[in-house]
Formats: sequence, structure tokens, C-alpha cells
Amino acid sequence: MQKIMIIEDDPAIREELALILENEGYASLPVTDFDGIPEQAMRERPDLILLDIGLPGRDGFSLCAALRKAVAAPVIFVTSRDAGVDEVRALSLGGDDYITKPYSVPVLLARIKAVLRRTGAGPEPVDVLETGGLRLSLTKGAVSANGKTAELTRNELQILSCLMIHAGQIVSRADLIDTLWDHQIYIDDNTLSVNMTRLRGKLADIGLPDAVKTRRGMGYQL
Amino acid sequence: MTPGEYLSDRSVRITLQLIGAGLAALFLLATGTQPGVLIILLIAFLLIFLIVHLFDFFRLRSRLLELETILEGLDQKYLFAECAPPPGGLYERKLFDLTRRAGRAMTGAVSDAQARQREYREYVERWVHEIKAPITAARLICRELDGETRRKLTAELAQIEANIERALFYARAQNPEQDCLFRQADLGKIAAQAIENHRALLIQSGVRVETEHLNGVVYTDEKWAVFLLGQLLQNAARYRGTAPVITLFSKPLGKQIQLVVEDNGIGIPAHELPRVFDRGFTGSNGRARGGSTGMGLYLCRKLAGFLELGLHITSEEGKGTAVTLTFPAKESL
Repeated sequence: MQKIMIIEDDPAIREELALILENEGYASLPVTDFDGIPEQAMRERPDLILLDIGLPGRDGFSLCAALRKAVAAPVIFVTSRDAGVDEVRALSLGGDDYITKPYSVPVLLARIKAVLRRTGAGPEPVDVLETGGLRLSLTKGAVSANGKTAELTRNELQILSCLMIHAGQIVSRADLIDTLWDHQIYIDDNTLSVNMTRLRGKLADIGLPDAVKTRRGMGYQL
Repeated sequence: MTPGEYLSDRSVRITLQLIGAGLAALFLLATGTQPGVLIILLIAFLLIFLIVHLFDFFRLRSRLLELETILEGLDQKYLFAECAPPPGGLYERKLFDLTRRAGRAMTGAVSDAQARQREYREYVERWVHEIKAPITAARLICRELDGETRRKLTAELAQIEANIERALFYARAQNPEQDCLFRQADLGKIAAQAIENHRALLIQSGVRVETEHLNGVVYTDEKWAVFLLGQLLQNAARYRGTAPVITLFSKPLGKQIQLVVEDNGIGIPAHELPRVFDRGFTGSNGRARGGSTGMGLYLCRKLAGFLELGLHITSEEGKGTAVTLTFPAKESL
């Protein structure tokens, strides 16, 4: 399990963040004692550090420099000052990424994942999803079952992968739209229906006509 | 100062001098001075009279010209009395002194007002900075709620953020030089960030966003451009029609790049179009819908000015609105 050190002075954010990271399968290390942070980092050896620049009574930038000397873990700066100058300074001081408050949770998680992958600490991204006889290749954009293969469009691919990740659970239309927007596919409800119909057609072509079930008033289920 | 102005200013004095000369001539004539001598005396008087007034006229005129040149050359015109050379005459000097004192009081008032404005701006920025912590916490806490409640609360939080952002940029627009940082920026990234910032409003409004050919590189301040684009997206979502679609695409214009934000919304009446960028202008749409402050597009125009962005709007009632942003070419910055 990868350890993420959270350096954040606002207790509400710190605790929620710790919870969310743990739900995502990381081990979180919320720092409550702001003295000797570099020493704590050296002891705990985190895989990634989330650092709030606006800590009371100290300069986040110099803290980053000290952390850099102490451990090799990548640092993501978190700040509520969104001046461009800060960003340049943060990245030049060896921060690996920079995110401004208020951030949305999917964006934060995506950034964490990306930094971990870039620094070689994260797992390789999943390419193939398999469930219930379906095999989805994300890089090829193709789904196969019963020895037959169908090519998917970008939209269909994201819909299917979301359903496969949550196989067995009901995924609401609103959640599907949210997920697609996460992937920069900005669709509305009608387009989702159209895409869903096409996706079902393609699944039928490879011999799985009823793979995606409609749960009336709740959503879809694979 | 024209000769006419001079004469009318000195009319009382000149009349008195002429009457005095006439009376003296009558008195001399009555006491037996020979007319020939009298005429010589009168001619001498008139010569002196003319010379004095001509000299006076040209002296005053050149002095006024000099003062005007000084005023023209000043950036802060209210500092005039501090920079002009003090006059010679007693009365003028006293007057000048009064003007200078008045000017000093004004200089003080102006710098007080500037300091207050700076302080206020700093306060707004600090406040925005502080309010972001609880909003972030609220967003994180929202994650624990079930689907529908979470979505509604997230949308409300996004609305709060959008309003805070607007206040921040309004404060920043007062002296933008401090924050503007021109850099190479990816148009696609700017668009994606703006859409992400307002996604709750867009999704809630049932909007579909189409992005086409958004891969240009522009030279601008990314954050300001994201904010500006966000205002346009919010408007497009607010004044939407049925089956709303927002299309974002870019196209080259010589060395410049244009970004077009097009919607199929309710559009703006032609006679209101020239005024949409005015401060506080809400228009018939804004009034019909309510909740319009008339600040969004006003801020857009202001920021576009600093970013040297061309901002052009076309609209047709019932058909939709298109806003074109023309990013400056790198060479012109």
C-alpha cells in the first residue's frame, strides 16, 4: 500500500482527505505536529506528499526545499492562492504538481495517480478489464466476448468501462454522465441514451444482448 | 487670452484712466494752457497708456501660456500648484498659496483613497483565500453523502465558488499588472479547466458541450482566460433554450488564434447587443430570468482589455449567441 503524507493545517480538510485516500486504497499519514516535518517524513518514508503552502507561521516553499533534501518522495502543492507566480515558483522548487483549492476529489485523485505513475511509484495503469465473459481493452478501444470483437467509440468505451468497474452495482445515469465529464466527454442525458443504445447493439453483435440491464428509476447494471 | 478678453477684464481701469485724462485736459484748458501744449501732453499720455497696456497684455499672455504648458506636461494634473513657478505680485502670490494648500489637501485625499482601495483589495484577496478552506472541506465531506443530495450540494458549492471567483477577479481587475502572467498556454487545457469549473451548472442545465479542434497554443494568462471563458459558459448555460448545446472551437486568423463559444440559447435582442458589456446591464433576458447582476460580461470586457484579447459577440434571438475571443499573436506581446 502506498503511503501519502498529508500536510494540511485545516483539521476538517485533513481528516476528510485522510478518509478519502484510505477509501481509495492508500495509507494516509496526516501530520498534526508541524514541527520537524522533514524528520517525520524521513521516519515514515511516504510515497507521496501533499503539501499545503499556506501553513501558519511558515513558508511552504522553504518547507518543500527541506522535504526535498530529506526524502525522495514526489510533492504535490495544494494552495488556495491561485496566482500564477506561485505556480511557477512551486514547480521550480521541485514540486511535482500544483493544485488549487477548492479542488474536486476526482481531479485530486487523478493528479495523485498521475504523479505516482510518473515517478514510477504507482502501479501500471489497468489496460484490460474483465468481467462476466466480457473483455475490454482500454487502449485498443475494443470489447470482446464469445471469440467476437467489436470496436467502441470513445463515449461507448468510457460508459462500458465505468459499468465494468462497478460490475454488479447499479450505476445511475447521473453518475455515468459525471464519469464521462471526468474524461472530457461533455454529454447530456439524450446523448447518453443514444450511446447506450449503440453500445447495447454492439454487445448484442458479439452475443451478449442483455449484458447491460436497465434498473428502472435507478440506472444501469452490468 | 485674446485682446478682447484683456480689454473686458481691464475695462473699469481703462475707462477710469481715460476719464481722468479727459478731466485733466479740461482742467488744463480752463486754467489757460495753450491747446498746442495740451495736444502734445495728450499724445504723450496716450503713448504711455498704450505701451503700458500692450506690455501688460503680452506679459500676462506669455505667463498663461507657460502655465498651460506645465499643466499639459503633468501626469497628475492635481499636482499643478506644486510644479508651477510662484508668481511675482502680492495678490497673485496669496491666491497661488491658497491654490497650493487646496491642492495639498486633495493630494492627501487622493493618496488616502488609493491606500484604502489597496487595503480593500488585499482584504478581499485574503478573504477569498480563507473562504476556500471551508469550501474545500465541505466538498470533501459531500463525498460521504448519497448520489442525489451530493449532486445538489456540489452544485450549490460550485455556485458559491463561481460567485467568489467573480469577486476576486473584480478586485484584481482594479490593478491587473500585479497578477497578469503571460505564458504559453494550451487552448484545450484552458477550455477543459473552464468546463471543469462550471461542470455542476452545465450538467444540471442538461447542457452538452462539443469541443472541436481545440489544440492551439496561445500566449495569455491562463487563469484569467479560464475565468473569462467560464463567464461565457455560465451565460450560455443560464440563457439556454431546449436541448442546449455549447460548441467550443478554435480557428486561426493570420498569426492570431480565435476561440469561438457558440450556443443555441435564447439569444439577445439586437438593440440590446451593443450594451451587453456595460457594467450592470441585465437586459430583458436577465430581468425575465432573474438573478442577473450585469457583472459577468462587464468583467469579461475589462479582463479582455488587459489580456489584449479581442472580444466580439453576435447573437440572434431564438437562435443563439456566439462569442469570439481573438488571442493576440506572440509577436505583438
